[in-house]
Amino acid sequence: MAPDMTADSRRRNSIAWLGFALAWIAALLNIVFFVNAAAPVQRLAPWVIFAVAGLALIALVIALKRAFGESAVYRGKVLTVVLAVIALLPLFIATYGNAHARDVPASTGAPHVGQAVPEFALADTSGKMTSLADLLAPPPNGGAAPKSVLLVFYRGYW
Amino acid sequence: MRPVAVSVDPPDVSRDFASKAGLTFTILSDPDSAVIRRYDLLHPKGGPDDHDISRPAEFLIDSNRVVKWENFTEDIRIRAKADAMLAIARETTR
Repeated sequence: MAPDMTADSRRRNSIAWLGFALAWIAALLNIVFFVNAAAPVQRLAPWVIFAVAGLALIALVIALKRAFGESAVYRGKVLTVVLAVIALLPLFIATYGNAHARDVPASTGAPHVGQAVPEFALADTSGKMTSLADLLAPPPNGGAAPKSVLLVFYRGYW
Repeated sequence: MRPVAVSVDPPDVSRDFASKAGLTFTILSDPDSAVIRRYDLLHPKGGPDDHDISRPAEFLIDSNRVVKWENFTEDIRIRAKADAMLAIARETTR
């Protein structure tokens, strides 16, 4: 087959597509937090996301350098810029968003194993004040007192 | 084991949430985050509109209010799994 001599004979800037794809892969890896993936997978995921985002960034920088610095060899200036700009959204999710999700207070003063937790009384969903002592007591409708209470502090449903 | 959830959500928000999700366990409201502060779990401006909220944290406590197991996530996307916590509760307080 004869080589295609009709168009630009410069090389395609393929690494721009690689960077673009890696940026989206990095952002989409967040799916492991939504599908209730196994705990080790979830613990590893943030670092994989950072790593893939880093590779995406490197690929896009190389692509931009090739498109503008070596435009005699590589074509696709416009395409490279468009891909790099669109990739900013997934890159933002995979870098800033990824770091932000890990920006949790240290809570050094929180109760720890072996320590007694502070007593409290708060309103339940019907507005009734409920203390920790109430929670540990036998239920009013009969039955034994619970052996333990699992206190789950959560961010809120808003 | 008795599960109890605590957040800054007001009771009506928690009530809607519980009825939509079909939750029957106790959900407590700490809108001023007084208890959340006392437990040093405050995440300042962690919520929408720079709202102070609770960081995620789980404690299994015995009948003397003593912590038998704790979990402080370093990533708000990673939470303790319900089945894992049930297994720990079964093991810890037989």
